[in-house]
Amino acid sequence: MKPEPQPKEVRVLPTFKVNKHGLYIFLSLLPALILVSLFIYYPLLKGAIMAFQSYSLFDLTNIQFIGFENFKQVLADPGFRRATINSFYWIFFSLIFQLSIGFFVALLLKKRFRGRGVYQALVFFPWAMSGFLIGIIWRWMYNGQSGVINDLLIRMNLIETPIPFLSEPNWAMVSVIIANIWYGITFFAIMILAALQSVPEELYEAAKMDGANKLQELIKITIPFILPTIIVTALLRVIWILNFPDLIYAMTNGGPAGSTHILSTFMLEKIIYGQDYGQAAATGLIIILLLIVFSIFYLMATKFDKAGDF
Amino acid sequence: MRKIINWPSLAKIIFLGVFLIFSIFPLYWIFITSLKPKEDMFTFPIKYWPETITFENYANIFQISNFNVYIVNSLIVATVAGIFALIIAMLGGYVLARFRFIGKNQVIFAFFITQMIPIFIALAPLYLLMSNLDLLNRLPSLFLIYTVMMIPFCTVIMKSFFERIPPSLEEAAMIDGCSRIGALFRVIFPVMLPGIAATFIFAFVQSWNELFLAIMFIDKEEAKTIPVAMNSFITKFDIDWGAMSAATVISVIPTLILFAIGQKYIVEGMTQGSIKG
Amino acid sequence: MKDQLTKGLVLCFSMILVLIIISGCSDDSSSNDNATGDDQDDTEQDNGSDTVTLRMVESLTSPARTELLKGMIEAFEDENPTIKVELISPPLQSADEKISQMLMAEEDIDVLEVRDQTVKQFSNNSFIEDLSVYTSEWENWDSLNDIAKHGATSIDEIPYFIPYGIYEKTLFYRKDWFEEAGLDVPETWEDVYNAATTLTDPSQNRYGYSFRGGAGSSDYVEFMTWSYVGENIVQDDGYFIEDGSPMFTTDEAVDALEMFVKIYEDASPPDSISWSYPEMVQGFTSGTTAMLIQDPEVIVTAEENMEEGTWDTAPLPKGTPSGVAQQTAGTAGWGIGAFSENKEEAWKLISFLSSPEQNLHFAKNNSLIPVHKSAGDDSFFKEGYFSSYIEMNAKPDEYLIADRPVDYKGWGEYRGVAEKDIQSLLLGDITIEDALQKWTDYWVDQKEQQ
Repeated sequence: MKPEPQPKEVRVLPTFKVNKHGLYIFLSLLPALILVSLFIYYPLLKGAIMAFQSYSLFDLTNIQFIGFENFKQVLADPGFRRATINSFYWIFFSLIFQLSIGFFVALLLKKRFRGRGVYQALVFFPWAMSGFLIGIIWRWMYNGQSGVINDLLIRMNLIETPIPFLSEPNWAMVSVIIANIWYGITFFAIMILAALQSVPEELYEAAKMDGANKLQELIKITIPFILPTIIVTALLRVIWILNFPDLIYAMTNGGPAGSTHILSTFMLEKIIYGQDYGQAAATGLIIILLLIVFSIFYLMATKFDKAGDF
Repeated sequence: MRKIINWPSLAKIIFLGVFLIFSIFPLYWIFITSLKPKEDMFTFPIKYWPETITFENYANIFQISNFNVYIVNSLIVATVAGIFALIIAMLGGYVLARFRFIGKNQVIFAFFITQMIPIFIALAPLYLLMSNLDLLNRLPSLFLIYTVMMIPFCTVIMKSFFERIPPSLEEAAMIDGCSRIGALFRVIFPVMLPGIAATFIFAFVQSWNELFLAIMFIDKEEAKTIPVAMNSFITKFDIDWGAMSAATVISVIPTLILFAIGQKYIVEGMTQGSIKG
Repeated sequence: MKDQLTKGLVLCFSMILVLIIISGCSDDSSSNDNATGDDQDDTEQDNGSDTVTLRMVESLTSPARTELLKGMIEAFEDENPTIKVELISPPLQSADEKISQMLMAEEDIDVLEVRDQTVKQFSNNSFIEDLSVYTSEWENWDSLNDIAKHGATSIDEIPYFIPYGIYEKTLFYRKDWFEEAGLDVPETWEDVYNAATTLTDPSQNRYGYSFRGGAGSSDYVEFMTWSYVGENIVQDDGYFIEDGSPMFTTDEAVDALEMFVKIYEDASPPDSISWSYPEMVQGFTSGTTAMLIQDPEVIVTAEENMEEGTWDTAPLPKGTPSGVAQQTAGTAGWGIGAFSENKEEAWKLISFLSSPEQNLHFAKNNSLIPVHKSAGDDSFFKEGYFSSYIEMNAKPDEYLIADRPVDYKGWGEYRGVAEKDIQSLLLGDITIEDALQKWTDYWVDQKEQQ
């Protein structure tokens, strides 16, 4: 978890050509390193210090180091436990459905057909909208009184009275996850479609000569070939989905009764309601720690060695 | 024989159709809402096509706010951030793809970790930093921070694009007398165009949509971006759905155009990136 | 040679980057506010250092109010040609967070919106000025009404802000529906419950009461409990009763919460468990709910969206058997930032905005209870929808005012905690006793920390 492991001096191993490329490497990476260090790692470091301080807006005149007190309080908060469990559901179900539907869509879009470009532009579009906006739109649609989703379900005779989508805890969690699935399918579809198109035709031809059917093709050639893409994309999505408070913030703000809080909205609430920057920072560090641990296990389990290739 | 093949393709058409409706219905709905007059907004039963179409909501947002200014600001911020992120990512990505050097893995690891950082942990220090740099209330604060936020992902994506291109390509060019940068521009970029387009679109869209930092760094009218303006349609009294929906429709137009032009590059570009067997 | 070229190109690139950033900066700083940009530049050249620009930040932002404020600021600038005011209007949702950041960065904010909810935090951190130097010489200080003065000096008897308005809740009801059903205007919570259940008809999408179960719900539990507990509440330490224990220990608190839950279950939209301000107001103005308890600001919203004669206001319902209604008088106003370099001018602006004429104008257009005694004579407030407020103020024995425990460290956090508990209570996850016990423990703990 130590930040800023960037090297001060870059020494070059003579793999590509000769040693004097060191300056070139250094200069090329310099803008990225300077900017990332100054505007991401430096604020992170300062933010991380707050996690060990009594940093509450109520009284900033008396900020002291209090060791792990903030962590203790956060971990003892029943809301934190709930948010952690919710985060698991939020990530797991979002990911499974985004991945499987995205995979399916990509398979169907692989072959050219008339209007594919237009179709792609339309169905990929959710990806281009902001999470906050999507949250607002879905909240508008889920509305119990004048919401379009309830209206449609009633018209189709599927239900008789409106479903309290965002006001009943179990429904609320399902509802925000559905909205998130809607938002995230596209990303998988694009990545997987790209991967599918990169499968060399010769492989399929060879398989055909061996008399493989479509399903066998899929299992024996397609999936193994695109697996690395899926593994990397899925890991990245896990990280992004957990650090994505916008949607829940706009839809339910964690309610009702904290039933839709995930860790990142829990953290947001610590800032907005409690105005306790210390506890918020502690939660933030816990999130980072959890994600690092998860990534390590994930990459070990999938035996994927290119850890950084996200 | 024909009939047997038809079943799957029928299923395919149905699935694609359902998925299309699922994907665009929320957009359709916000579009319809934007055309409804104020009094029809909450009428029951719900109208799926407004009886009276009105553009008053659109006219309204330009009256109650300087929406034209916000559009220009958002365009500037997203374009500049997109281009900067792209340039920096190409420089870094190329080096990471082509050379092995001490600290390379650490750099990639440091980039990877940035993706895990919840932005709110760094918000207060970032605000102070921007204040010290005297960038608050200025568009550079936004395109600077958006560029930074895009660098890690874009750099690593670029790295995988470069990895796909055989080094022999630029070696040949360099033998012909090009410098490394010259080779980069003349030989590799044309091949990589889809990837570059895809990366730019990614960075553009992310910057176009960002809300929390924009709210924190900007409070002057002349430097506000679209998400900030839309956030102010949420008042204590209500959400101004008319203004909100009209603003949503306007705000997605640039990204829609970008998508229409670039959508084939997005997939093509990612295709380049994903080949690493 | 190749490397020199490389170096050159990278250097060029870096310089372009720096140049763009710098030119971007100067571009931006020269393009001032569209409207005033040009003449501001002129005056700066003409008067040199004589012109002062004040930075003023609002927090309860809404587009309509921002327009109103801008109009008043223009009038101020006309009177004081050497002072310019730059109004900053962060979006409501994140305004408090934003203002905290600005103050933590020690930015020179001259005038800022200070509310009863934020004044303690601001004064604790020395973010705002003690205004007594100015108020002692201000001719209008004594014309402020008692509630306004009380609000201004709520922390340590020091005036930290000059209120621009008072927030008190009143009952809004559908006059037409009540008449149609032959119902009287409710006076007690029992009446509210009975009328609300009569008017509830889910098949018509019609409910008796605009319930608040979402953000801000603790305010509703608060004034219901206060009304039921009645005079036993310590008025300047509102969450405690005379014997020093939290109000949640009383039997009346149980009655109040039972009523609260009953109204939700029997007479409110199921969705209202997550309603907060916008939804409950919309529920009322769009014809879904028959009753609403809200701030005076809603009068304007209702006037805009509803037909005259279909609705009216009435005093806040009373508790039984206490026979009183009790609520807090919320105040918000303008204070001076501690890091301001133009405090004299800032006070000029505040005293201008707080003058009886300007305040009356602001209160009328923003639909607030004005802060000056003289405003009571204005027909706008005497008659019509505001008259329920006049009625309540005329009977201080029946309509009590208590203070929220804003000076406790845990106040902000409590609201978040209580909101969650209230939703759990409405969902049936916890009992009334559980909730009361939890809040009692919370406030006993707060008292000890004090």
